Amino acid sequence: MKKAILFLFVTFFLILMVSPGVSQAAEKVVKIGGVYPLTGYLSWLGEYYKKAAVLQVDTINKAGGVNGYKLELVVYDDQSSPEEATRATLRLVSKDQVVAVTGTATAPITGAVSSVANKNKIPAVLSSGYDVKADKEPFLFNTAHPTFFAIGRPFMYLKKKNVKGAGLLMPIGSLGEIGITNSNRASQQFGIPIVGEERFDVKAPDVTAQLAKLRGANPGAIFSFTTGEPAALVAKNMAQLKFEVPLVVSHGNATPGFLKLASGLTTNVLVPTGKIMVPDSLSANDPCKALIVNFNKLHMERYGEPANYFSGLLADAVMLIAEGMRIAKSSTDPVKIRDGIEKIKNFPGLGGVYSMSASDHYGTKMEDMVLITIKGGKWVQVQ
Amino acid sequence: MDISQIIQFTFSGLTLGSIYALMAVSLSIVYKVSRVISFAQGEFFVFGALTMITLTGIGVWAPLAFALSVLMAALLGSIIEQALIRPVLKTTLGTVITMTIAISLALRGLALLLWGRGSHTSATFSSGEPIRILDAALQIQVLWIVGVTGAALLLIWLFFEKTMLGIAIRASADNPVGASLVGISIRKVNLLAWSWGSGLGAVAGMVVAPLYFLQYGSGVLPMVNGFIAIAISGLKSIPAAVVAGFFLGFVEAYSIGFVSSQFSEVIVFTVLIVVLQIRSKAASGAGFDEKGM
Repeated sequence: MKKAILFLFVTFFLILMVSPGVSQAAEKVVKIGGVYPLTGYLSWLGEYYKKAAVLQVDTINKAGGVNGYKLELVVYDDQSSPEEATRATLRLVSKDQVVAVTGTATAPITGAVSSVANKNKIPAVLSSGYDVKADKEPFLFNTAHPTFFAIGRPFMYLKKKNVKGAGLLMPIGSLGEIGITNSNRASQQFGIPIVGEERFDVKAPDVTAQLAKLRGANPGAIFSFTTGEPAALVAKNMAQLKFEVPLVVSHGNATPGFLKLASGLTTNVLVPTGKIMVPDSLSANDPCKALIVNFNKLHMERYGEPANYFSGLLADAVMLIAEGMRIAKSSTDPVKIRDGIEKIKNFPGLGGVYSMSASDHYGTKMEDMVLITIKGGKWVQVQ
Repeated sequence: MDISQIIQFTFSGLTLGSIYALMAVSLSIVYKVSRVISFAQGEFFVFGALTMITLTGIGVWAPLAFALSVLMAALLGSIIEQALIRPVLKTTLGTVITMTIAISLALRGLALLLWGRGSHTSATFSSGEPIRILDAALQIQVLWIVGVTGAALLLIWLFFEKTMLGIAIRASADNPVGASLVGISIRKVNLLAWSWGSGLGAVAGMVVAPLYFLQYGSGVLPMVNGFIAIAISGLKSIPAAVVAGFFLGFVEAYSIGFVSSQFSEVIVFTVLIVVLQIRSKAASGAGFDEKGM
């Protein structure tokens, strides 16, 4: 009996010895937060965000972590609502003590996260259409390309194609206002006049009256800054009218869902997006190509689907935080990490080559975006 | 402004108007019989269309899928009437209408569970190019919507005018107590109205679906516009609701075309307010007229 007890005791002791948590000095871990819309109307996006963040954190940890620290991702669901996003960010900051936050989408939800992050001096690298004012919100960064790029990039393309005028068909509401303001700015910059401007209700089943009016002004392209069904409806009505000019829609449409909706239509739909959507079309000397191909491969292996624009944005957010830690030589001081992120220069990511500054918290350039269209049920790059 | 543009505004008005008119007809059935506006009608629109898309997706022959979808919606309508409407029928009208709003929300949630968040496309009833006049184009499906609206009107007229059951239903709507005294079952009449109203809502969804991209929440706008149409018609008769539906569509399209697409909604609602003002002065008392329609 005594022998048996001794045997058990020794075995127990041996198990303790070999288990990593006890035998070695505790591994240093630092937490970063994720506020993602996992439920609610943005849940399709939240899923992509979470998958990309988990994958990118694992990849960084497998490569040895940052400054001797492993990263741990703590994720909360913002339920696609600003109130829930505020609660989630507060919990990350006070309970989980994260050193940085990644996440979420839309202006109101992003504003909510930014407000908590800036008050608590925690860097928030978000991926959202929110317009970042670096001087007012020094702790907020954005990996999504600024809205102006998403409208300016197609104008840049139309200039190359010698298009003489553009028509706007914008949704009624704030998104339409953003679309009109940025289109006017791009129109000035690239010297392509806006020849017609119409609005439509995103729930309307027919926009042919607006399109007929626009056609009267003879535009070389139509811009409709809208996402999903309304964008597909505009394309469908243009096909019905044989209105054969390119239709530019918002960068939110680079999704499998929109691909399915618009695949059967004859309209030439142009979607501004990141290079990650067309890994095969990138030239060999593109500084982002190797990263994109590798991330896409890992994403495919792990989730059985290719990475997309949105997963790229979130993966970049994690990578920028890690790079900020390296530059700051600190993985634990949020203020130093913020300063580190702001010092990032010529750093290739999935969405472009990032060069941050005190006044630019996006870091990307208009040329980092590409235009894609649908051919044979697949996305292809427009040259 | 060239002539093709004016034709296209007309086509757009016809497209919008046909949708509103058909929706108004399906809303009118329940109202005509039970004096209740069912706010769940938009959901039957969605259920009909998405059921048909699912059935044709698994290879069911389209006309059979159409019939099955109507039957399923009618059955769903009957179950809802039995389980949820009947228990509150003896309370106030407000309670019944609130119940239809609750049913609408519940059905929307159910549709989200069944069909997910994505959008669905549905094939047009007949293939072929749109009808073209100069540069203007009208989708052939719009003619289907107009045809189905006409057929629904005719069937409703025949039923309420020429059949014993139809006359009984009208009687029970006008005077429930009197009707039950002569042996008409108000319960059965209500059940019938709900199953038919739901079935017709599904028909509307299936005929309109090929025009756009349908998802679980797509029933709200047709329901609201159908409701505006029957409000403009003064709840007087079903043909008047159809005329009002087309009127609404044309007002919308012409205000987009000739005035401004930014203010078309304002114009539509201003017209509604003006019409209601005139109506309230001209007519005393609401309700469907004594004749069947």
